[in-house]
Amino acid sequence: MSAQDFLTLNHVSKVYRRNQSLLERLKKTDTGGTKAVSDVSLTVRHGETVGLVGESGCGKSTLARLVSGLMEPTSGEIAFRKDGAGRTPRLQMIFQDPYSSLNGRWTIEDIIAEPIRVHKLRRGRAAIRARVDELLTQVGLSPADAEKYPQEFSGGQRQRICIARALAGEPEFLILDEPTSALDVSVQDQILNLLRDLQKNLALTSLFITHNLSVVRIMADRIGVMYLGELVEEAPSEELFLRPRHPYTRLLIDAAPDMDTSDRSLHPIAGELPNPAFPPSGCRFHTRCPFAKDICRNTAPPQKTAGTGGMFRCHFDLELSNAQAIPPASKARTA
Amino acid sequence: MTTPLLDVRDLTVTINRDGHLITALDKVSFSVNPGEVLGIVGESGAGKSITGAAIIDLLVPPLKRTGGTITLAGERLDRLSPKAMRSVRGGRIGFIFQDPMTSLNPVISIGRQLCDTIEAHLKIGGEKTKRKALEWIERVGLPNPEVQFRRYPHQLSGGMRQRIVIALALCANPALVIADEPTTALDVSVQAHILQLMRDLHRESRASMMLITHDLGVIAKMADRVAVLYAGRVAEISTVGELFNAPKHPYTRGLIRATPMPSADGEVRLDQIPGAMPGLGAVPPGCAFNPRCFKAEGDCRAAIPPLTTEESAAFSCFHPLERETA
Repeated sequence: MSAQDFLTLNHVSKVYRRNQSLLERLKKTDTGGTKAVSDVSLTVRHGETVGLVGESGCGKSTLARLVSGLMEPTSGEIAFRKDGAGRTPRLQMIFQDPYSSLNGRWTIEDIIAEPIRVHKLRRGRAAIRARVDELLTQVGLSPADAEKYPQEFSGGQRQRICIARALAGEPEFLILDEPTSALDVSVQDQILNLLRDLQKNLALTSLFITHNLSVVRIMADRIGVMYLGELVEEAPSEELFLRPRHPYTRLLIDAAPDMDTSDRSLHPIAGELPNPAFPPSGCRFHTRCPFAKDICRNTAPPQKTAGTGGMFRCHFDLELSNAQAIPPASKARTA
Repeated sequence: MTTPLLDVRDLTVTINRDGHLITALDKVSFSVNPGEVLGIVGESGAGKSITGAAIIDLLVPPLKRTGGTITLAGERLDRLSPKAMRSVRGGRIGFIFQDPMTSLNPVISIGRQLCDTIEAHLKIGGEKTKRKALEWIERVGLPNPEVQFRRYPHQLSGGMRQRIVIALALCANPALVIADEPTTALDVSVQAHILQLMRDLHRESRASMMLITHDLGVIAKMADRVAVLYAGRVAEISTVGELFNAPKHPYTRGLIRATPMPSADGEVRLDQIPGAMPGLGAVPPGCAFNPRCFKAEGDCRAAIPPLTTEESAAFSCFHPLERETA
């Protein structure tokens, strides 16, 4: 681990097993399971925001839980940089749904003060209250809101409360799991702008998980793209959008409809997402890839390093800088 | 000037909350021309879904339609008896719901659900009904129709289920299809498939469509004309090109600019609209958007701006935006 590295994931995998029957347990047969995260290696540097994108079932939320320590990886290791005293950094999470992630029976003051009390960051009622007021102001709410209950707030305001609660723990590392997916666009912007300001002012290191490519492009310094549990590409944000190296990244960028009304073509990705419990052999994307050759069906692609410091998993070095790079036949296929 | 297929005038929906009447939809007017896709866009709580539900009389109490007219091909839907309305639903008006998980009956096979709908509206008899159902399963792009016919919703993926919901909405050859957030619950790669399918089927059938969504990207690709709703009122109605390139209402422009989208040169901008949409019953006097609007003046706070028609567009704003000369 180099001095800059804040968090390293080394070949991390997580397998969800179904409950085994008594017979299976006695016979000690391995029934297998769903490999939700498969052999992911990733480094987050100090002060950096790394984005993770992918469709549902690609393992991005599982990865967030592994990093947060809510779950243990089946194999591989997750290491945080330790400070002089051997202490691991403080970590906080912001969740997708601000309606279910706040306790409705607690006042806002109780909610925000909890991490302060747990981590013993301030002593005494007055000092804690002063800190709560400060945090509320920081996220754009008023100290008067501290007496209220979560149900008195709109979705966007609740997400601000969640952010204040996360900041109350004075985290060095923040995990954001789809923090704006439940919000309307006009409110989403306010939250993204707030998060961007906080990132800048507090020098936070963070992991930003979302399915929305435009959002991650705004928020992250580097982006990892996941498909069926694997990290298929990882690159600096602008590099990923301008010069994607993996066909899935290219197709994902094109699939989201943009607001250009002059070109109304749609770009679906051929086929459907395979069942993550039974991923395809070889390259996991070969069933939907317009460039797939025999080798893709049989051999898992190696991890390659791009010239700009990015990583991708593909047998070929494809030129995918513009949307026309994808053969039109695959675009026309709709079934 | 063509006669519109669907004409909605001054549609008003109120909520009775312990005797207090709260307006959810306030005199909403728009029309859908034959063969046209009308997009209805707005944030949550703007009244998009209520508009769709009010047209087919599927409002759940305490929501109640209290005024306005709904005319489908010359017939007043708002005057129909509940029984007559039942035959319109799924017959002349097909409905695609947001969540394919809850809009299919989990204990009845796909085939049975299709046959029931076809039988109820087309009345063509057993063998023909089944053939038509199989035909529809194939048309919406599911492999092995015979196998799918016997399967249950839980055996299908989200995208496949939404295809079945689309088949159900279209199988009785409706004149109008109301699609309420048809792709919101789906992943991007699946979303593009479903939109493509809807577009293909729309071109084949020439049915009119009302596409309700909060996603401006979907609107830009699918709609011919767009109605923007804000706090239960129509802010602007315009052709899709006009709306995106020269919006008249400040809210429309705010909404477009707030959507994180990379522009052509790759730069991502993020302009926020201050504040949030007023909740039900908390709509400010005058223009509902005035507390958040950068152009708001005294008259905006005093009176509700009427829907002004100008060429192909209509907007409700006292100080519409000038066409930007860029």
